Amino acid sequence: MAREHWSERLQRFDRRWIFLVMAVAVVVPLYFPLGLPARPDPMTKAAYNAVEALPTCQLDPVTHRPVPGSPRCARVFISIDLDPASTPEVEPFYRAVVLHLKRKHAQLVIATTWYQAPPLVERYLRETLDVAIAPAGTDGYAGAPDRAYERNVDYVNLGFRDGKGAIIQQFGTDLRSAFDGRADDGTPLDRIPMMQGLNKLKDFDLIVLVSAGSPGAKEYVQFVGTREKLPMVAACTAVSTTDLAPYFQTGQLVGLVGGMAGSAGYENLVGKPGAGTAGADVLNIANLVVIAAIIFGNVVFFAGRAHRRRGGRS
Amino acid sequence: MKKTVPLVIGMLFGAFALAEFYIPHHQVGALSNEFRSWAAILASSAFIIGGINILQVTWPKIRRREPDWGYKVVLLAGAAVMLLAGLPWHKLGDAPTHPTVTFGPRLPAPAPGEPPAAPAVFVKVPADVTYQIGATVGAGTGRLEVVRVAPGEVTIKLSRRVPGYATLETKATLIERDTITVEGDPPMMWGRDGRVFVWIYEHVFGPANATLFALLAFFVASAAFRAFRARNTEAALLLGAAIFMMLGRAPLGGAISDVFPDFAQWLLDVPSNGGRRAIMMGAAIGAIATGLRVILGLERSHLGND
Amino acid sequence: MTALPWIDIVGYWIGIFITFCCLSFLYKDNPFYKLIEHLFIGVSVGYLIVLQYGENIEPKVVDAIFGGGVDGAWLALRVVALVLVVMMFAKVLQPRWAWLGRYPLAFVVAFYAGLQVNAVAQAELGEQIKFSAGSIDAPKVDLNHAEPEALTALPGSSPAIATKWIAERAQRPFASLDDAITRASLSPLERGDLAAARGSLVGLDAKAAVSPGHHDGFGIVSNLLLLAGLLASLVYFYFSVAHRGPIGGISRFGVWTLMIGFGASFGLTVQGRISLAIGRAYDVLGRTLAPEDAARVHGPLVSLVSIGLITAGILIWERRTRDRGEGPGADGES
Repeated sequence: MAREHWSERLQRFDRRWIFLVMAVAVVVPLYFPLGLPARPDPMTKAAYNAVEALPTCQLDPVTHRPVPGSPRCARVFISIDLDPASTPEVEPFYRAVVLHLKRKHAQLVIATTWYQAPPLVERYLRETLDVAIAPAGTDGYAGAPDRAYERNVDYVNLGFRDGKGAIIQQFGTDLRSAFDGRADDGTPLDRIPMMQGLNKLKDFDLIVLVSAGSPGAKEYVQFVGTREKLPMVAACTAVSTTDLAPYFQTGQLVGLVGGMAGSAGYENLVGKPGAGTAGADVLNIANLVVIAAIIFGNVVFFAGRAHRRRGGRS
Repeated sequence: MKKTVPLVIGMLFGAFALAEFYIPHHQVGALSNEFRSWAAILASSAFIIGGINILQVTWPKIRRREPDWGYKVVLLAGAAVMLLAGLPWHKLGDAPTHPTVTFGPRLPAPAPGEPPAAPAVFVKVPADVTYQIGATVGAGTGRLEVVRVAPGEVTIKLSRRVPGYATLETKATLIERDTITVEGDPPMMWGRDGRVFVWIYEHVFGPANATLFALLAFFVASAAFRAFRARNTEAALLLGAAIFMMLGRAPLGGAISDVFPDFAQWLLDVPSNGGRRAIMMGAAIGAIATGLRVILGLERSHLGND
Repeated sequence: MTALPWIDIVGYWIGIFITFCCLSFLYKDNPFYKLIEHLFIGVSVGYLIVLQYGENIEPKVVDAIFGGGVDGAWLALRVVALVLVVMMFAKVLQPRWAWLGRYPLAFVVAFYAGLQVNAVAQAELGEQIKFSAGSIDAPKVDLNHAEPEALTALPGSSPAIATKWIAERAQRPFASLDDAITRASLSPLERGDLAAARGSLVGLDAKAAVSPGHHDGFGIVSNLLLLAGLLASLVYFYFSVAHRGPIGGISRFGVWTLMIGFGASFGLTVQGRISLAIGRAYDVLGRTLAPEDAARVHGPLVSLVSIGLITAGILIWERRTRDRGEGPGADGES
């Protein structure tokens, strides 16, 4: 009886060995990182430039209120639309962009359209806005320090509203009615001084979208961004990058940060490497494993095909 | 009645949604916002109905002791715990909203030539409570701590670092030599911002949600070996583009040569965007056609059968 | 910072155990995985109901109607919304009232359809056609005359560099690209960024010049390819004409364009999936916690203990199912 060709044996390879190789490829680089720098791509650079172009207001060092006569503080709307599964890809961008915005003393209005997000959003606010992310003297950080923000003074959390494209469109026409006139903690928006003049998305200087899927950046572009010609920067999962890249090309998005690699690039630009940079390092080895799997799988396939064409003789 | 009225409703509201885009009158905008609120309310209700449906489907399986019925008990128990934790039980009692501030005896007057004595704030809070007296932030120890502040209005906050506890806040106006004692224990909250609800979210929902998606990483590696074959030109182009994209978007590609990231970006900007744009346009035409069919009542599948 | 409460440390241990229970599915479907799967679904259902009620139904219906949030004609309209909600719930209570659910469903589907038509017509069709119909020319940015936005968009540039260039060229126009990127007002870091962005194909040399009338040749070729790829892909999707002869050739080019796009998408998808696994590894090993918290959680040790417990449990379960004659039912080949 003819011996089984090696390619046929490999075709029936138990896939659990591949799972093990993948697990090793993910865990080992965490202990032995390559330390390669994450180079920002042009779309990430454009996002950084859009935030950098915002005015930086001057604050009184004691009261932390804008100094009369100085440029108005930038007002930025951040939509955090993610779930625990997508945090590795877009959370590093969120932390980097908030540091970038706090360096400019921007006033922030936060909302979400994902039901899985509210507890995550509260944690992010506690960890990035209620405290300083990079106070003076932070190790490995040479940029300008930021400060702790005060809720309902420097930032407002509007909370969660469901409704997909319809509610996003309502953000564009009447933000206050979309959130029933109150912040997430119940404070009437009329009683929050920083909300003065902020009635719809067009009143903001920049819209930042931390978007893990639908509803997210695509819906913002479709339902409100294009019509109102809003300056919007989006961070998305790697999977969505090809879907959103045409919007960046047409200018409907002024910046696009795709996946963990994009987030790592943004951290690089802000000057505070974090989970994105560390994760992108691990991506190197894991990507090589998948590429090797593709190439090896094709080698096995073509070897088997050639063997069968030769009549199956070994 | 059962189908005609819904069709008429669809035509009216669909036509309104189409037309309001072109009518800038503020009343039309306000009415449109009201209908969007309806859509949001109904979307939320649909989620709630879906949740109730899962429970309705699960209960008979437990009653009939179908295979794996034990797991269904876990499902119902998880839902029940979450629903109970999500109720605002803390509103039943009288939870404090401010820390207790008691004025004490004034500090002795300073000797001639000495600077005036700054007000002193004595803080006694449990060990896991963080206090903020003015600009001073500290961790409680269970013992009496003292913080000196400048005269004037001082904000006093007591909080816990973990979510689910109320923040106790008050203000006190102090002059030189004043002393106050601040005590308090931020109460645990229930409800969607409450301790138990958020704890279960962070330590059960979050890890399970994230890991179930993380399984995909392993399956994609397996699929890469077993299924992705360059059988023809098109498949070879697909795999080639995928390999260049993987190399170009990771730091390793840039470390090997600038060609990889530049080529990966070019792949995104030119062929990928060209194809995507065609798909986008086609899908847009399809969406417009389907939308018009729904509004005109030609598409009725969403209304079900009689 | 105060110490992490013990209940939260236990919570992190539970999270690590749940992680490995889910990962045990990679070996085969087993009771640990099933337990966590059902627990997750149950917790999700409870979470969803609480959140949707608290964040949407309560403010928009309960507070609005019964708490005086809206009044007048708007109150009447909001009551209509409440009636629609009741109609939706009717079919849950009594299957023979299921037809009542068609009314709110008809409203939602048609209203969204109407919004969608305008949204995609503008964003997906109008803007994309407008961009595609634009000039295929790719003129280089004239450093001596361009607006700040155009200067900022150049490779290696930034708003700060653009501002400095504008100030520099007002004093002395740029004679060459080398001159522009070595001006004194630029910081060493900025000069380094600009130098790193040099390149004749897609870099600074391709996109910028110091006088008007220069064109980016590779950019023009790329724009032509972009337009050709778009048109060919559209031809591929046009099925009213047989794809033979010249149409067949164009259609095939369209397929190639689409395949390259799908390949790019697949490559990014692989990265995205791997990122999810990296995120879990991070959490489990305690890298997302503050060092003092990570030291108390002992993530790696708890991981090993979890793996040990789950492995032992699966071995016992496999032996019991074998003894019962049910067979192990290996999932390795499915």
